[in-house]
Amino acid sequence: MNTMRQAGAFAYFVWDWAMAVRRWGAPRAEIWREAFRIGVMSLPILLVIAAFVGTNLALQGFYAFRPLGGGRLVGMFVSLAGVRELGPIIAAAMVAAKAGTEMASQIGVMRIREQIDALEVMAVNPYAWLVTPRLVGIVLVLPALTVISIFTMLASGYLVAVFQLGLNGSTYLTFATQGITAMDFVYGMLKAVWFGMIICLVSCWYGFTCGRGPEGVGEATNRAVVTSAVVCVLSNYFLSEILYGGGP
Amino acid sequence: MIEIIDLHKRFGELVVLDGVSLSIPPGETTAIIGPSGTGKSVLLKHIVGLIEPDSGQVICFGTDMAQASERERYAVRRRFGMLFQDGALFDSLSVGENVAFPLERHTRLSPREIRDRVEEKLAVVGLPGTWDRAVSQLSGGQRKRVGLARAIVMEPEVVLFDEPNSGLDPLTSDQIDTLILDMKQALGITFVIISHDIIGTVRVADHIAMLNAGKLVAWDRTEAVLRSPEPVVRAFLRRNLVLPEAEGEQAHLPRAEEARRG
Repeated sequence: MNTMRQAGAFAYFVWDWAMAVRRWGAPRAEIWREAFRIGVMSLPILLVIAAFVGTNLALQGFYAFRPLGGGRLVGMFVSLAGVRELGPIIAAAMVAAKAGTEMASQIGVMRIREQIDALEVMAVNPYAWLVTPRLVGIVLVLPALTVISIFTMLASGYLVAVFQLGLNGSTYLTFATQGITAMDFVYGMLKAVWFGMIICLVSCWYGFTCGRGPEGVGEATNRAVVTSAVVCVLSNYFLSEILYGGGP
Repeated sequence: MIEIIDLHKRFGELVVLDGVSLSIPPGETTAIIGPSGTGKSVLLKHIVGLIEPDSGQVICFGTDMAQASERERYAVRRRFGMLFQDGALFDSLSVGENVAFPLERHTRLSPREIRDRVEEKLAVVGLPGTWDRAVSQLSGGQRKRVGLARAIVMEPEVVLFDEPNSGLDPLTSDQIDTLILDMKQALGITFVIISHDIIGTVRVADHIAMLNAGKLVAWDRTEAVLRSPEPVVRAFLRRNLVLPEAEGEQAHLPRAEEARRG
């Protein structure tokens, strides 16, 4: 029952935001600032995580396929898993952990310090001012971070395949490129856009509805990252089914 | 200018405002006083339309704030300035950027003109040349003064103050009160002040409204309220002032008059 009420409140928040965008547009300068901040903030940790996910994909692919005589399929395994699933979801997880938590805590602090009321009194719509630049920023940046994440995985997988597992480099690359199509990248970008919207709207909503005091901000931040992660992972299953369900 | 008509508001079981009616006189300073939790801040937030009443009306410049569309409400709010309890400054912006914020949103002034206007208002509040200073470097009193500069930078017709003296030492409180008096004289602005600082209130207010348990128990010119026979009013004011005898009797106001003289 409580979950239903929360979902209703969230839907109401998204509606209010959509109406605010229609009436007040978006502050363009803020969009670039947010996009830059989200990108810079999330990139270092994303590179580290994506690199080590790539290494492990290569190892697991090699150990799984070798008994079947398919050790050279490592490249295909890394590229398929990376482009279709892990690239988008890992980039989303890192952005949720870094940028999403910052959005929730920043807006939460603004709420408890009456800065959101101050925006209202200054006749500035807080949804248009605080949510829209973050949302557009994240939707612009997360696909780019996803591409970076995918190529980092492929590169680290290559290093493990060639220098640790002794596979041929050109074989790795041939299978890596054979396993995927341009549409896989397009679908990966679509997933990234969807995840970006989820992370931003959920995090901002928790910030706007945050309880009083530092405890309220902490709770809002915690819930923002947990809810974003859960919704992204769940919706990733359905997106994969829709996008790849009928394909090979 | 601002009419509050039979305003009712409750949060759950708690009745916060219980039939409050009040007319704020233009060009004068009205203080709203009362014990903690009696709905003063809630009343102030009704005036600018941040809270909607359960029943009753708040009419600002002819607009019913609860019934108005968002655009109409925003048009009215551009005629208001508001100083929040801790200034409500944006931490990510510098002092100058905070004060310039409403100008950048609502005017077509050039960056040079905005800078000049902001510097002028910062000078009015006694903080000239602080454009680049970070908000985190400001003391409590300075935050309030920057908040005040932001509240007046659009040259509003009404400025609302939510506890302008809370958390300030007596000297800084006195400076804020002096600023309010100076601005009223120089700019002819209507001020509405919520305060617990009775001495400061008596000094700056032309009118006093007192709320108790959600009801308006006193509303008159300051001198008349000080002579109110209402026991709850006298009990509240006596904590800080040596009061005159109740209305109809002759007495002088030693501390209150001192306070008004500053």
